[in-house]
Amino acid sequence: MKWNVWFGEVVEEDGKLIAKKSNDLVESFKNASNPEALPFNLPEVGLQVFESLEDYYKTLRKIALKVTSEKVERELKREDRYVILLLKALDKLNESINMLEEKLRDIEEVKISDTTEDFRERIEELKRLRRRIEKEIEDVITKIAPNLTEIAGAVIAARLLEKAGSLERLAFLPASKIQILGAEKSLYKALARMRRGKPAKTPKHGIIFIHPFIRTLPKRKRGRMARFMAAKLAIAAKLDYFKGELDENLAESVRKKYEELRREKDKPKKEESKQEPKEEKPKKKKKKPKHR
Amino acid sequence: MKEIIHNVFIIEREGKEILATKSKYGSHYGERKIGEFREWIPSRSKLAAMILKGHIIDIKPDWKVLYLGAASGTTVSHLADIVDEGIIYAVEYSAKPFVKFLQLAEERRNIIPLLEDASTPWKYNGIVEKVDFIYQDIAQKNQIEIFFANIDMFLKDGGEGVIMVKARSIDSTAEPEVVFDRVVEELGEKLEVLAHGSLEPFHKDHIYVHVRKTK
Ligand SMILES: C[S@@+](CC[C@H](N)C(=O)[O-])C[C@H]1O[C@@H](n2cnc3c(N)ncnc32)[C@H](O)[C@@H]1O
Repeated sequence: MKWNVWFGEVVEEDGKLIAKKSNDLVESFKNASNPEALPFNLPEVGLQVFESLEDYYKTLRKIALKVTSEKVERELKREDRYVILLLKALDKLNESINMLEEKLRDIEEVKISDTTEDFRERIEELKRLRRRIEKEIEDVITKIAPNLTEIAGAVIAARLLEKAGSLERLAFLPASKIQILGAEKSLYKALARMRRGKPAKTPKHGIIFIHPFIRTLPKRKRGRMARFMAAKLAIAAKLDYFKGELDENLAESVRKKYEELRREKDKPKKEESKQEPKEEKPKKKKKKPKHR
Repeated sequence: MKEIIHNVFIIEREGKEILATKSKYGSHYGERKIGEFREWIPSRSKLAAMILKGHIIDIKPDWKVLYLGAASGTTVSHLADIVDEGIIYAVEYSAKPFVKFLQLAEERRNIIPLLEDASTPWKYNGIVEKVDFIYQDIAQKNQIEIFFANIDMFLKDGGEGVIMVKARSIDSTAEPEVVFDRVVEELGEKLEVLAHGSLEPFHKDHIYVHVRKTK
């Protein structure tokens, strides 16, 4: 038997455990993985190659600090990029799957053969790959943006990151931008129409619109919810970028706001329409119906 | 002033009793330094909340500890005051909060930082030794499975563990009470459950479960 340990190797020879010290401790530390629980206690065996327990722990700590700091730095640089690229690949994969399925259906209408079966199998393989990529995106986004993910869910959080370009850029976006992130196209279209003197509606929400807390509200309340959520997402992005630690109160406040808005539904209609313009800007609100 | 665990004190401050650890070090997360004590804030640290709820675990100064979900080191900083002759292996998989954690690990002699995923314990199985105590606070859906996997690999027979559970991380639709019952039952199948209880009002819908590994 042989085990990979942080200071090198432990081998079993004639029923005895023998420690061998590596001359590259950083390397052996990085490879110190074993599938089963070790049948010995590390520092005890380590004493064969270290002068004392103090020496053992001092060395371990030094190497752990070195390897971990380097790893932290590498990770910080790369992980948001990784999510964004995975997401872009996922979109292409989706397009491909749809396109291939369509082609396959066309063929199958004419004839089903071994070849079409093989074709179908390959598509299923791509679908498995798709699930795998989705899972990976979810895992990484939860890790690098715990607050955004807690509020918006993994899918929207990842999309926001993609639209912003990096976690850093997202952290510096104002809430008003976050609210319409992903709706840039319709915003530009609307602005263009306005420039031509035509009536147009500017988008109130971009990618965050697919969030159930917004989607499941009646239309007239969605704007308020989107604005509130965007404000919290802006804070979440800053927290994620600067601290990376989850603040549960943030998502909780979004949930509360949603409950509050949902409950408002029960109020009589009259009261509702009286109240609303007070909170929104009354001017804009009244104009809109005319153009519709 | 009363010492309830090695280096853990209830001290009087402006007429109020507060929890604190005796420490040679400065403030780490904005907590007050009162003489040789660092205030241990229950709303920031679930372990402090558990103690203030009256569940006291007699953590020995020479214990070897495996800590899963170390984040930026709020709780670890106090635990490091307690096990001042022991060692804490601190696992965290997110790089961002670990930046601050590394500052703590630089100044304390008894912390070994590991940027690893607690759900793959075999990856640090040649680094972490057999420990007396495993503490887990990771708020993950499969956190019990992760707890078991680490206990199997690293906890000494007779060793103890504490797991902090947030109802909503395990199941966001079920009633917290139901989730907690299920969790305690599941833990009880493999381990001896020594105690469990709520962390309210410090942490909403959270419980701690204190377990022991028996042969
Ligand atoms: C609630 S915080 C812990 C706070 C910390 N225990 C304290 O009191 O100072 C949970 C931490 O667990 C980490 N985490 C979640 N899943 C993990 C995993 N599988 N492996 C390692 N760390 C994980 C998160 O990144 C987060 O930093």
